[in-house]
Amino acid sequence: MTVVTTGTPTDPAMGNPGFETGDGGAGGNGTVVAGSGAFADYALDPRFYDELFRGDGQPRDACQRLSAALDRFPAEELVKLQEGVYRRFLHEGITFTVLGADEVSEHIIPIDCVPRLITAAEWRHIESGLKQRLTAINLFLRDIYNEGRSLRDGVVPPDLVLGCPQYRVEMRGVKVPHDIYVAVGGTDIVRTDTGFAVLEDNVRVPSGVSYMLACRAATKRSVPGLYREHGVREVEGYPRLLYSTLASLSSSTTRPRVAILTPGRYNSAYYEHAFLAGEMGVDLVEGRDLVVHNATLYARMASGLRRVDVLYRRIDDDFVDPVTFRRDSVLGAPGLFHAYRAGNVVLANAPGTGVADDKAVYAYLPRIIRYFLNEEPILANVDTHLCREPEGLAFTLDNLRDLVVKEVGGSGGYGMLVGPHSTAGEREEFASRLRDNPTNYISQPVLPLSRAGCFVDGSLQPRHVDLRPFTLHGEDGQNVVPGGLCRVALRKGSLVVNSSQGGGCKDLWVLRS
Amino acid sequence: MLARVAADLYWMGRYIERIEHTARLLKYQLAGLVDSPADELALGWQVIYRTLGQSSPMAPADVDEAEAFMMADAYTLAGSLVEDHTNPDSMVTCWAMARENATQLRPQLPLEVWTTLNRGFLWIRDCDFPAAWKEGPAALVSEGIDRLRLLAGVVEATMSRDDAWRFLQLGRFVERFQHQVNLLCTWDQLGAPAGAHPSLSWSDLLRVCGAFELYCRRHGMTAERDAVLEFLIRDPEVPRSLRFALQRIEQMTVGIDPLGSRHPIAAPRRVALRLAATLEAASGIVPNGERAEPVGNRFTGDLFGQLASDGRRLHDLLMAEYVDYAVSEGLPS
Repeated sequence: MTVVTTGTPTDPAMGNPGFETGDGGAGGNGTVVAGSGAFADYALDPRFYDELFRGDGQPRDACQRLSAALDRFPAEELVKLQEGVYRRFLHEGITFTVLGADEVSEHIIPIDCVPRLITAAEWRHIESGLKQRLTAINLFLRDIYNEGRSLRDGVVPPDLVLGCPQYRVEMRGVKVPHDIYVAVGGTDIVRTDTGFAVLEDNVRVPSGVSYMLACRAATKRSVPGLYREHGVREVEGYPRLLYSTLASLSSSTTRPRVAILTPGRYNSAYYEHAFLAGEMGVDLVEGRDLVVHNATLYARMASGLRRVDVLYRRIDDDFVDPVTFRRDSVLGAPGLFHAYRAGNVVLANAPGTGVADDKAVYAYLPRIIRYFLNEEPILANVDTHLCREPEGLAFTLDNLRDLVVKEVGGSGGYGMLVGPHSTAGEREEFASRLRDNPTNYISQPVLPLSRAGCFVDGSLQPRHVDLRPFTLHGEDGQNVVPGGLCRVALRKGSLVVNSSQGGGCKDLWVLRS
Repeated sequence: MLARVAADLYWMGRYIERIEHTARLLKYQLAGLVDSPADELALGWQVIYRTLGQSSPMAPADVDEAEAFMMADAYTLAGSLVEDHTNPDSMVTCWAMARENATQLRPQLPLEVWTTLNRGFLWIRDCDFPAAWKEGPAALVSEGIDRLRLLAGVVEATMSRDDAWRFLQLGRFVERFQHQVNLLCTWDQLGAPAGAHPSLSWSDLLRVCGAFELYCRRHGMTAERDAVLEFLIRDPEVPRSLRFALQRIEQMTVGIDPLGSRHPIAAPRRVALRLAATLEAASGIVPNGERAEPVGNRFTGDLFGQLASDGRRLHDLLMAEYVDYAVSEGLPS
């Protein structure tokens, strides 16, 4: 085991008053301008929406206090703050695991201490859009695993759904508690000049919420005064909300026994699994801890077997149960799906939810929303060309240089082609793949992701960002935690925000007013 | 508590205790580097390595144990026990293993415990052993001991007295019992009669065990074999006495989740109680608490052999009863 360290921690300078008070910018005195002072390296680009500054170089209304504080803050102090955060993450083991060919290493996700701000009005828009989207997704999943009305009515091509690798025929007719297939969703949202748009619906095992909370803890320690002055909405209640959401899915008449199922120590999100289990006071189980007996799930305790009522599983469908799904899986528990079908344990999220975040099905989400809710989508989709359709394939092949091409089941920034950053050889190779297996791909325009101020190489610079808020759906309705994982493409000019591809993250401040 | 987590806590406790054993022995030995004669130093290394169940890392096959330690240099011998990643019992390996166990059970540990353990691991992992050796090896080991004491204090101050605590303590005290049996046995085997050269001093054994001051208050400054062994075997107030460890083991097994569907305290507890009775009998204490006249040498190699064997059996029983039990035994009634 190697813990990879990438910096030289020095003493943090917590609570520098210059960064905490931020009073000089309140009210917008117009002294801070992109491209001057601390923002000397901050070059605005009219192609990209800037989260801090308007097009004329003046701070946006909600960001005046923040930009003024940053303008006064000595760069060397900001370096110390960043190093202090790094050191704390190192000591507390807030890491993600990377499996190499010869070794397992732990990495610390880079945290940028400069928060990104979202106004109350913007958040209301995002929140209502997310609730609408998750409601529609749950109705859609219920439908495709039961009556199939939406397929018969042509809302989504039946072959697209039934042929989707994430469609689980074993789920047909299964009674899902409260018809909540997706209890935890993490939706990737981007902002462009035209507003917010959904890039991906992650409704299988979305991760990143622990980093949202770690970023919040880091900024509260680093810039407490600024945080207090901004009237930021709390995100710390997430574990409590998650527990009540999961517990609400159980029919148990006593306090339901909830557990988190992790693939284990070497999973890249293991820290998050452990963190959530600790915060909720539930057991963090692995497949080897579970036993199914008489269609009932038990955890193997030191003092005997104890029943599990709700399993928040953080492993993919394929690995849940070797009897029903992949036979070579050792991560799940034999017979678990049988216990689930019998109604003796709740799985969150339900198996088979991956259909709804397939990148090809994604293109039909607006139609799904209209069909099931009779409403117009609040959050826009990104234009998507389906290579399974001849015209979509032809368009994609003709415009490879300008498009992003993705595998329908891909994730983590892998298996994709970013046209403008590709070589002729890469495009040729990808075109060949597209022709061989067009149903496996979609294409989208290269999105001009918005940019937020980040502290990079000793100065404030704009970097592309996205946002992953988390939505919980329990018996009593939905909750969208006012915040999210704000991912940052730390490499200059890069649009890839995934941590596996050089991305970092920063805190997202949703303002009360 | 999950059975797997119980095992991880138990092993975490064992590894932490093992680091402390090694550090204590090394501290005593390294202090002697300044002025002890070579043959005494070699004997000291022999005690340490035999106690830890290891052979000299530099020993040719055809050289006997004592000679092997005369041939070896202190830097290599200490380095093998401190920084050698290939030595499963070195301090760095044990620290990594304790951290690995802690990682598996993070939800059960207070953040302060995890952080203190992790910082200790990062310290020893990043330690420049050659540079530390030049500056003074005793300081390196002392810092390791300080970090262990900090961890012990954080554990004491932050952990609830629940099953997590009990399994952690079980690991610590089973490891301590086994190690102390080895140490007493080795000291007794390698120690020569008073006046012989080289020799092992019984007062040094008390110092290694952190019991010298208390012994002097109880028995004066004359440290003789039988008195020291009895003190380190059955005094209930000496943290590194065998009786102290057995009392803790017995207490911990009694407390484990009495509401579970099974309550397997009987077997491990029975062994712990039997071991305690063995110690009493060896000291000439009869069941009514009075001391019978001891006959001959009370603390023989056979006694230490029996204690070592029962210590291993205690470990096996704990694993069998709490971790590796059959599913059919664990079903709720």
